[in-house]
Amino acid sequence: MKHTIRFSVLLLAALVGLAPAARAADDVVTVGACQPITGRFAFAGVAINAGLQDYLNLANDKKLVPGKRFNYVYEDSGYDTDRAVACFKKMMAQHSPVIMYGESTGLGKAIAPELNARYKVLYASASFSSELADPKTHPYSFISGPTYSDMFGILLEYIARNKGAARPKVTFFYSDTEFGKDPIASAKKRAADLGIDVVGEIVTKAGAVDVTSEVLQLKKTNPDYVIFQGFVLAPIPEVIRATKDFGLKTKFMGTFWSMDKTIIDKLGQDAEGYMGVNPFAYYYEDTAPGIAAMRAWNQKAHPDVKYQPNSYIQGWFTGMVYVEAVRRVVASGKPVTGENLAKVLDTIKDWDTGGVTGKVTFTEHKAGVGRVYRANAQKGIFEPASDWIYVK
Amino acid sequence: MLIGNYKETYAADEAILRTPATRVWTVVALGAALAFPFLAGDYLLYLVNLMGVLAIGALGLNILIGFTGQISLGHAAFMGIGAYGTAILASRFGLPFWITIPAGGALACAGGMVVGVPSLRVKGLYLAIATLAAQVILEWVFTNWTSVTGGIRGINVAPASILGFPLDTDTRIYFLILGVAVLHFVLATNLRRSRWGRAFVAVRDRDVAAEIVGVNLFRTKILSFMVSSYYAGIAGGLWVYFTKVLTPENFPLSLSIQFLAIVIVGGLGSIPGTVYGTVFMTLVPEMLKAGTGLVRGVWPDAQSYLFPLRDVVFGLLIVVFLIFEPHGLAEVWNRVKRFFSLWPFAK
Repeated sequence: MKHTIRFSVLLLAALVGLAPAARAADDVVTVGACQPITGRFAFAGVAINAGLQDYLNLANDKKLVPGKRFNYVYEDSGYDTDRAVACFKKMMAQHSPVIMYGESTGLGKAIAPELNARYKVLYASASFSSELADPKTHPYSFISGPTYSDMFGILLEYIARNKGAARPKVTFFYSDTEFGKDPIASAKKRAADLGIDVVGEIVTKAGAVDVTSEVLQLKKTNPDYVIFQGFVLAPIPEVIRATKDFGLKTKFMGTFWSMDKTIIDKLGQDAEGYMGVNPFAYYYEDTAPGIAAMRAWNQKAHPDVKYQPNSYIQGWFTGMVYVEAVRRVVASGKPVTGENLAKVLDTIKDWDTGGVTGKVTFTEHKAGVGRVYRANAQKGIFEPASDWIYVK
Repeated sequence: MLIGNYKETYAADEAILRTPATRVWTVVALGAALAFPFLAGDYLLYLVNLMGVLAIGALGLNILIGFTGQISLGHAAFMGIGAYGTAILASRFGLPFWITIPAGGALACAGGMVVGVPSLRVKGLYLAIATLAAQVILEWVFTNWTSVTGGIRGINVAPASILGFPLDTDTRIYFLILGVAVLHFVLATNLRRSRWGRAFVAVRDRDVAAEIVGVNLFRTKILSFMVSSYYAGIAGGLWVYFTKVLTPENFPLSLSIQFLAIVIVGGLGSIPGTVYGTVFMTLVPEMLKAGTGLVRGVWPDAQSYLFPLRDVVFGLLIVVFLIFEPHGLAEVWNRVKRFFSLWPFAK
């Protein structure tokens, strides 16, 4: 019985812990985040969180917005939509942020009705889904970078620019998920416009290991390019290795999530020539002052860190957009509210991010910019294969 | 101290709430439930709504596992059938929720009838695998039958409304969920006391003996699957109006496992245990999270280390629970009740 009473007391104590905290002061801009720090998206969530947090700390340190200080609060949402919605509501109740960051496309869709009608805060997420880039249905959301459709647009543009005499042949290789299927319809249309033949579509499970039948399919159509979508690692390395064994000359391309350095580490020498689109510059690039500032900050804040993955830079860039939006609202003399922040997004045109990405112009609440990179297996890094490519 | 419960009439014998104390507490609990949304914040209200929906689904699984001794790893998929049935009827045909939710339940019920057929031939782990197939197949159907289910992008559903009054906030939908939940918990309580309910228990305890005393095994098992899936379908229908957006990713195998965990932690075959299990499985992870939030002031980076640890703690809690109280939370609660009713003679 004693145990039962002790258990009840503990439960009560924990409930009290859930009680709302006090509201923030006027000079503080609270940014809330529901980050997938655990769960199957944790590989990116931890880094996104670190990037976003670091940039907001830098903004406070350098006083980027005069008279305002950013207060970053985050929680783990475990890449589970129900938990993420609960996290969102808890954040809103406890901290009343004017800016929120969310973990997934699922959360973006699930929270939309209430975000539009009630909460009205500026919202960005780890998602590049084109579905969320619609100011009519998601007036408070923006995509921090290009959508997946834009990324395909950039790759197709690159293929069209670098084609020979014959019409290039492309195969789309994607996973059976929302993430995989998102850009396919619009990419097919874009390919037709650019004079590129889509000779095949291969759909498989993310993380598949046996790819023999898929590779045989590739052998039959022998495309010039294969574009992967909806995978992070597997089965990309398996497919690339198996096609090389068959002696095909196909070039392989990926989008944001399959463009981290880890894929080169995994493929070793077979990575040579692997290409893809990245909306952001890499951590080791020397030419961009924005990236140099990021490295300097890391040296100061985390001296032992030698490399930061793409998702860190994604979080960092989202932080830059948040700070820029707040700066513009403050400069216009209006109060920092979700509505004003969302409105100011459309005024961001040809914004210079110091080379973290290209010149940023928000149209339809997304920034259609990215660059094609090619793997250099010798050095184990991605190198630019094109300049920044802009799509609408 | 209560020493006995003397009944003078058949009506008293048939009553669900047998003592004045239970009657009073039930009224108090219902009153508290009605007042709750006006006192609680958004976050707690959302969690309670979520628990309401999950509890209805879990009750269905408890009828199957706890009452009848069958097993299903496809429960989330049945919830999906109900959800899709409801969402399609609501978004394409504009039918009101009081038609679409029962229709979703009926559809899931029909699905359960089909999936329940193997239960006549296979038992235990084999049945678990057979129902797992249903989960996988249905998930595939939700994803790929694009013309009907909207594929991977799913379906958006307008809020339920009563005579033009939209149930579009958490407070309003709360009353719908509460009403449906109370109705279905009373239904389950009565089902257990009925001829069919006793047949379920007989099949669970020893199916051969049950058949010898005249229980039709096939009909009983199929009926149990049907009732169980119906509950899942109703939960799915409510879920649609609660979240207003439906995608195939909402009903993964892990949700089926979560239902299983709710039923086991709460107490197999216990109707109130289902509620305790749901509360435990939903609130404890949130509390552990709140606990990690408390140290933020002292050690700002703690969260990134403690968040992953939380899942470990939660897993351990469940294991410890099952070792020390295999009958689940329902039994813990019974002990608490006994303590108070026998006081001062109990210790």
